Amino acid sequence: MIKGTCWVADDYVMAYDIIIQEYWTSPIDPVENSKWVMAGVKDEFNKENGFKDGGYTFIVAAHNFAGGGKSIEHVITGLIGAGIKAVFAISFARLQYRNAINYGLPFVTCDDISKGCDTGDELEYDPENGMIKNLTKGTSFQSIPAAPFVAEVGEAGGLMNYVREKIAKGEPIE
Amino acid sequence: MEMTITEKIMARNSGRDHVVPGQLVWTDVNSVMTMDYLGKQCFDKFRSLGKEEVFDKDRVICVSDHLVPPPNQKFATMLNEWREVVKQHDITHFYDLGRQGIAHQIMVEQGHVLPGTISIGTDSHANTYGAVGAVGNAIGVTDAAVAMATGKAWFRVPQSVKFHITGEWQPWVMAKDLSLHIMGMMHWNGHLIYKTLEFTGPAIKSLDMAGRMTLCNMTVDLGAKNGIIAPDTITKKYLDKVAKGSWDMIASDDDAHYDAVYEVDVTNLGPTVAMPDKLDDTVPVEKVIGIKFNKAFVGTCTNGRLEDLAVMAKIMKGKQIHRDVNMIVVPASQTVYLNALRAGYLETLIEAGAAVDTPSCAACAGIHTGVAGDGDIVLSAGNRNMKGRMGSKNAQIYLTSPSVVAASAITGVITDPRTFDV
Repeated sequence: MIKGTCWVADDYVMAYDIIIQEYWTSPIDPVENSKWVMAGVKDEFNKENGFKDGGYTFIVAAHNFAGGGKSIEHVITGLIGAGIKAVFAISFARLQYRNAINYGLPFVTCDDISKGCDTGDELEYDPENGMIKNLTKGTSFQSIPAAPFVAEVGEAGGLMNYVREKIAKGEPIE
Repeated sequence: MEMTITEKIMARNSGRDHVVPGQLVWTDVNSVMTMDYLGKQCFDKFRSLGKEEVFDKDRVICVSDHLVPPPNQKFATMLNEWREVVKQHDITHFYDLGRQGIAHQIMVEQGHVLPGTISIGTDSHANTYGAVGAVGNAIGVTDAAVAMATGKAWFRVPQSVKFHITGEWQPWVMAKDLSLHIMGMMHWNGHLIYKTLEFTGPAIKSLDMAGRMTLCNMTVDLGAKNGIIAPDTITKKYLDKVAKGSWDMIASDDDAHYDAVYEVDVTNLGPTVAMPDKLDDTVPVEKVIGIKFNKAFVGTCTNGRLEDLAVMAKIMKGKQIHRDVNMIVVPASQTVYLNALRAGYLETLIEAGAAVDTPSCAACAGIHTGVAGDGDIVLSAGNRNMKGRMGSKNAQIYLTSPSVVAASAITGVITDPRTFDV
């Protein structure tokens, strides 16, 4: 069970606004990337730790979260470094959906949630059954639980750990 | 059970007879591409998996494209670290400055992607590889590191969508116009997220490899997983000269299932322009004729190929670029550069007043070689036009085909190449 406050995004939060151009060539590192994460999304986040200092645990978004065609992992490590434990949206862009799975950051598909939350609401997410509760408003939303492979990678702490263990044990990857 | 070409490729490369959309599979990869600004991190991560040697030194393809030639000390140092790590791993195919090109151009023109196989790259336009009937997929550093170690990548088999393209291509209309038209028709990141897009039909059969690369390249900007064109005689002719490895003809079964089928008749398709900031806000060129701009740019993995430069040379021969326009042309690779030089295209463009620069991603990534400043209005044959893409957030980028850029550079305003006096 994960509990914490949420930040509610407008529609179409783009990957290149989550990590703006001048940081594309930075090292992929949660601490480093989180300093300027979301800098292009809102003016108020365009300062050091601007988003991170909000102390949010969840992001609630609508369509095509992290879209616009950037494959850089800084987007995911930036969010992880800022303390984000899950992102709920109607849909996700595939490049970052994939990266999120590889880092074990739940990108959770949920149709109704974007209209049911305000920034600062306290949410509770149960990864086991996909239930999201808005404790502030007393409402709940059913999301699509993670596929078995995604859950397995998540439990391993990401694809690197998952594959590293398999290599160490000499197990086939299939 | 009938399958589409992408389903067949996923089945074949995961050791299965059959796969269905939604299924999760680990597949073999033919090539793993990485490039200068992310490559070192791929190798570092790869070693952290407990491996010293990559799965196949001939199949990890390293390219310098975003940072070359280095415009500042930071990038020069990054490039030095990159060269060191590539050397350390004894990589066979390293396309560094002097032999460089934009990674996706290199991957296809040097035969590192083959029909019926899967290749991945750490840059979003890896979708380009679909032009030869391969599954080309953009991935992050983590997937690249895993593939370097194991020769494998995981995929969820995508649902297939068919674009059946019919009719006759009109003069000066290019594959880019079709890409932009589809972008406007489907809307950016709309219904095509996670899908594989297959392009079929007589107007695809007649399209050259450069056009096919443009079309597949921009499928990532539709939100799709990949774009693909089944191999045919044009593919064979192209690959006979370059393919590194054997391959076979592969195609969708006649009764394969598509989630949706869209028809486009190119007979009615004219030059197309995407308005600043939004890729899916596209209009026929007639709607924007006469708009002034001050920078023209042709290059990138979308439109920096020999065929693109040939069209421009035809339009610009014996003419002068308008005095209020600065034009930069960046061939997509050293091979393209040399061939364009030998064919006389670059001579024509330089005589017209264009600046030709060494192959790289150039201003498309907003990093160097003609970045946009405040107040610039850029007419570009690149692939993205969001605020700040080419540099300043206070610049506007119109996206279009090389033929529209060429004709417009002469007149100084957006011009329909069909009405331009060639």
